[in-house]
Amino acid sequence: MKTRVTNLLGIRCPVIQGGMAWVADYHLAAAVSEAGGLGMIGAGGASGEWVREQIREVKKRTDRPFGVNLMLMNPEADVIAKILAEEQVPVVTTGAGSPEKYMKQWKAAGIKVIPVIASVAMAKRMERVGADAVVAEGTEAGGHIGENTTMVLVPQIVDAVTIPVIAAGGIADGRTMAAALMLGAEGVQMGTAFIATKEAAVHEQYKACIVRAKDIDSRVTGRSTGHPVRTLRNPMTKEYLRLEKDGASFEELERLTLGGLRKAVVDGNVTDGSVMAGQIAGMIHEIKSCEELIGTIISETEQRIKAVQKGVVWDE
Amino acid sequence: MLEKVKEITAEALGVETETLTAETSFKEDLGADSLDLFEMVMMFEEEFGQEIPSEDLEKLTTIGAVVEYLEAAK
Repeated sequence: MKTRVTNLLGIRCPVIQGGMAWVADYHLAAAVSEAGGLGMIGAGGASGEWVREQIREVKKRTDRPFGVNLMLMNPEADVIAKILAEEQVPVVTTGAGSPEKYMKQWKAAGIKVIPVIASVAMAKRMERVGADAVVAEGTEAGGHIGENTTMVLVPQIVDAVTIPVIAAGGIADGRTMAAALMLGAEGVQMGTAFIATKEAAVHEQYKACIVRAKDIDSRVTGRSTGHPVRTLRNPMTKEYLRLEKDGASFEELERLTLGGLRKAVVDGNVTDGSVMAGQIAGMIHEIKSCEELIGTIISETEQRIKAVQKGVVWDE
Repeated sequence: MLEKVKEITAEALGVETETLTAETSFKEDLGADSLDLFEMVMMFEEEFGQEIPSEDLEKLTTIGAVVEYLEAAK
């Protein structure tokens, strides 16, 4: 399957793996790239040296393109930005702000830059400063989220820019990918679906939570603090939401979630930890390999689009 | 310039122009988040025909700071 996104990135399928902190290390990134998508390393709050090591490990395992997600609030963001240029990482996605100040450096190293955005104004700005594409991420996504749904955000971003748009948030199968294409996206980014893969180096308890999750299990904490985060519900979210309702202070709330993602991903503590996942977790019922996941989603997307063309009869 | 900056702020954040002064802080007084700030900056750029690099955003905390910044950059 070819789109402007596959041409831009030199990949076989326009499926990008989300650069999730703690989850997206070289194991997952290399597996996704080998399977024909774009594997990503999630720099999250990690150090520059960790990122460099991960990049080298991916390069050992695949010759195909891959990328790194740089979370711009990372205290070492400047250092990591430089490492990405030195290592000539093929693709960089960015979150939590604007990567403008790194653009020149990255472009000079031949890096394709794809900011993750959640508003029309940001998308236009990113196009102006030379972004190669944008990821438009709806509120269905896991982790830190914006307000708009994918359904509403993607077409507005598609109308606002001429660079390719990659849809994220609420995508995990052929139906949801076909829908994203209908909205004008030319690729998709998936996070939760890739956590539930054999290759993801994530605690089994975390994966089990996603497989077990039902449609009603998604919660958003931190709306009152201005930093909403989507996770699966557990005793931690119950306590958090109760405190939030009672008007607890930011510090009090922070104490509940500090280090929470690490707890869940690494230690498998899914009672006190932050089990970040998108709303789509309710639709994920089994652990697949990255190859199965990507292969299935592409063939389902094709079938879906053809089925709709056949199933609808237009008035003469 | 001050009046125009107030007008744009009022439009972007859905507040009354009359309640705004040079000292009004976007984050503290008006509760603007990062998306709001980028929205506003894009509107300032369009209105005054000059680009504002993202590195400068953190300086632009109040309406007065925006006016000063735009005057200096002229």
